[in-house]
Amino acid sequence: MKKKVLLMGASGSGKTSMRSLIFSNNPASLTSRLGATIDVEQNHVRFLGDLILNLWDCGGQDSFMDSYLTTQRPTIFQQVGVMIYVFDIESREPGKDMEYYRDCLDGLRYYSPDAAIFLLLHKMDLVRDPQQALEKRRQELEEVSGDATISVFGTTIFDQTLYKAWSSIVHTLIPNAGILSKHLSIFAQACGATEVILFERTTFLVVATSSSGSGVASSAVPTYTKDGADHQLEPTRYERTSELIKAFKYTCSRVREEFHTLELDLHEFSAILDELTKNTYVLVILHDPTIETAAVKLNIRLARNKFETLQADSLV
Amino acid sequence: LLNGTRRSSSVQRTKVLFLGLRRSGKTSIQSVLFKDMPPKQTFYIETTMRITKYPIDTVVPLELWDTPGNATPESIGIPIGQFRSLIFVIDIRDLYNQPITKLVDFVTAAYQSNPDINIEVFVHKSEKLQEDDKIENFRQIQERVTDRLLDLAPEYEGVQPNFYLTSVYDHSLHEAFSRVLHKLIDSLPYLEDMLNVFCANSQSPKAFLFDTKSRLYVATDASPVDSATHNLCCDYLEMLTSFGTLYKSASASPPRHIQPTGPNAPSSSSANGTSSTSSPTASTDALPQRSRKPNKEMFYPSAATSLHPATPGTTLTYHAITSSLALLALVPTAVYEGRRGLLEYNVVFFREGVQEICDVEKETREGG
Ligand SMILES: Nc1nc2c(ncn2[C@@H]2O[C@H](COP(=O)(O)OP(=O)(O)OP(=O)(O)O)[C@@H](O)[C@H]2O)c(=O)[nH]1
Ligand SMILES: Nc1nc2c(ncn2[C@@H]2O[C@H](COP(=O)(O)OP(=O)(O)O)[C@@H](O)[C@H]2O)c(=O)[nH]1
Ligand SMILES: [Mg+2]
Repeated sequence: MKKKVLLMGASGSGKTSMRSLIFSNNPASLTSRLGATIDVEQNHVRFLGDLILNLWDCGGQDSFMDSYLTTQRPTIFQQVGVMIYVFDIESREPGKDMEYYRDCLDGLRYYSPDAAIFLLLHKMDLVRDPQQALEKRRQELEEVSGDATISVFGTTIFDQTLYKAWSSIVHTLIPNAGILSKHLSIFAQACGATEVILFERTTFLVVATSSSGSGVASSAVPTYTKDGADHQLEPTRYERTSELIKAFKYTCSRVREEFHTLELDLHEFSAILDELTKNTYVLVILHDPTIETAAVKLNIRLARNKFETLQADSLV
Repeated sequence: LLNGTRRSSSVQRTKVLFLGLRRSGKTSIQSVLFKDMPPKQTFYIETTMRITKYPIDTVVPLELWDTPGNATPESIGIPIGQFRSLIFVIDIRDLYNQPITKLVDFVTAAYQSNPDINIEVFVHKSEKLQEDDKIENFRQIQERVTDRLLDLAPEYEGVQPNFYLTSVYDHSLHEAFSRVLHKLIDSLPYLEDMLNVFCANSQSPKAFLFDTKSRLYVATDASPVDSATHNLCCDYLEMLTSFGTLYKSASASPPRHIQPTGPNAPSSSSANGTSSTSSPTASTDALPQRSRKPNKEMFYPSAATSLHPATPGTTLTYHAITSSLALLALVPTAVYEGRRGLLEYNVVFFREGVQEICDVEKETREGG
C-alpha cells in the first residue's frame, strides 16, 4: 500500500529539516547545512512493512509554488493521502503564506477531497509565548480553512513536539491501528504491565498504545493496571520517548554501533524496549514490583508471530 | 597550614579558581556543568562583576570561585596558593598576549607558596572553528603559554599546564573537567584499581565510575579513554535520567522493590493467552519497612542497552553504586546474557569497595 504525503510551505519553513530528523535520524544541529530544495524531492520510505510513504518534499520558493499551482497542479494534488503544510511561526510574510496555503487547499479539494490536512506551526522554539502564538494562529487557520478538517500542531525540531505531530500524521495512514491497540492492551494485561507502546522501527514514531483505543490521541488519560493501581503518567511521555530513543540511536551510530534493546530497573518502574516485529519496537512499562523482566522478555518473544500478522491486518 | 583549607563550614571544600578574560566562558562552563543549564541558554548569562563562590557536591566537595575578567592575584582576597587548581579559560579565537599575561601573573603568585598547584587551561568555544584552524590555534596557544612560563625563570620548569579543547556544545567540556577533577581525588588510585579488577573479571574493555548528576567521570580503568566511548556513556546516562522521570507514576503508588511479596506472578502466557494470576496488591504498609532497611540491603537501580543485534555485540550496562555514583561498563553481550550472575557479583563486590572508600573520605573531611 502506497500513500502520497505532500510536504508544502514557504522556503525555509523547515520541511526538509523535519524530514531528515524523522526519517533519516539526523540531529537538529546538522539541519543548518541543508540547502533550499529545488522543485520536488520525492522519497519512498517503508513504514510498517507494507505501508510505503511516498514523501513529496516540495521546495517552497515562489517560482516553484507558482508552478505547483498552475502547470503542475494535477501532478501535485492528485491521489494525496496527507498534506502537511508547514508555516514558519516567525515568517516575515504571513499574508503570502496564507494565500499560498489557500490555493493549495483549493487544489486539494479538487483533486484529493479525502486527503487529511495537517498544519504545523513550526520553529516554536523562537517565540517567547508558544501557547499564545499557537492559539492565535490556529484561529486564523481555522477561519481560512472553511469546512476542511484540519489538525494544527506547534512544532520545533529541538524538542518532542515534532514527534507528537508526526505520530499523529502517520496514525491517519494506518487504517486499522485500533486492532493493534486492542491487542496491545491484551498483551499488557498478560504481562501485568501498566502500559505497552508500539513504535515504528526506524522513525520511532508511536504506532499504537495499550492505553487507548484511538492510539496516540489521548495520552493524558490515566492508565490502570489489573491490580487496580491508578497510575497517572506524564502526558508527553510518548513523544518524549521517541525523541530520547532517536537521540540515543544517533549517538550509537556515531560510534558505529546500532541501538538494539534497552532494559531499565529503576526505583519507580521497570521498562523493556525490544523488537516486536520486523518493523516495530515495543516498550513495556511495569510498576508492579513483583513482575520479573525476564518473564516479560519471554512474553515478547512469544508474541512476535501474532503481532506480525496483526500488523499486516492493520494496514487493510 | 596544610592545603590552606579553612573550616568555614562543616566540610572542607577543595578550592578551584576560574580565571579568564571577560566573555571567555567561565560562568557558562560552571552553569552547564553544575546547574543543568542548556548550552544555548548561556547566551543570556550576564557578565560576572564580583567574585562568586559556588559550593559543589561531587565525590570531592568543591568550592568553585568565579571571577570577573579584570581579577588580579591581589583582588582575589586569599593567597592564590590556597587553591588546588587554577582553571584558565581562553577563547580559542583569542591569540593575543593579554590572556597569557594574566595567566602568568597568577601562576607566579601561586607558585611560591604552592608549587603543586594544578594549572589547567581550557581553550574554549572550540566548536566555533573548523578542524584545521582548531588544531592550529590550540597548538599556538599551548606554545605561547609554555614559552612565556619558561621565560620567567628556570624554577618554573616544574609548572606543567594541562591544555584542553572545550565547548559547552559537546562533551569535550565534561571530559576536560573530569580530568581536572581526577587530580583532586585522593582515593583515585584505589578507585582505579577496583575498576581494573572489575574489567578483568567481567571481560569489560572499558568501565567508568560516573557522578550521575554532573555526568563527570570520577575514575576509569587503565585502558585509554577514547572520546567516542566517553560521549556514548555521557549520552546514555543523560537518556536514562530523562527516561526515569517519564514513566514515574505521579499518583501515590507504593515504591517498588521493597520486598517482593509472594510468589512471582508473571506468566509465560503469550499475548493472546489468558492473563496471569492477579498479583498481590502492592501494599502501602511496606513503606515503613523501607526506611528501616539498612544501607546494604538497599535497592540499586540498573539498566542495560545492547548495541548490536548480533551475538558478538556489546552491551552497555549501568549500575547505581551510591546515591550519586554509577558504574557504566561496556561488556560483551555474550557475557551479559550468558554470565549475568558473575557480572552482578562483580558489581556487588565493586560497590562495597567504593562505598567503603567514600565512607572513609567523608569521615576524613568531616573530622577535619
Ligand atoms: N529555530 C529553528 N530553526 C529551524 C527549525 N526547523 C528548521 N530550522 C532551520 O530552518 C532552515 C531552513 O530549513 P529547511 O528544512 O531547509 O527549509 P525548507 O522548508 O525545506 O525550505 P525549501 O526547501 O527552500 O522549501 C534551516 O537552517 C533549519 O536549521 C526549528 O524548529 N527551529
Ligand atoms: N560558541 C560558544 N559560545 C560559548 C561557549 N561557552 C560560552 N559561550 C558564550 O560566551 C559568552 C560569555 O560567557 P560567560 O560565561 O558570561 O563568560 P565569562 O565572562 O567568562 O563568565 C556567552 O554569550 C556564552 O553563550 C562555547 O563553548 N561555545
Ligand atoms: Mg527543503
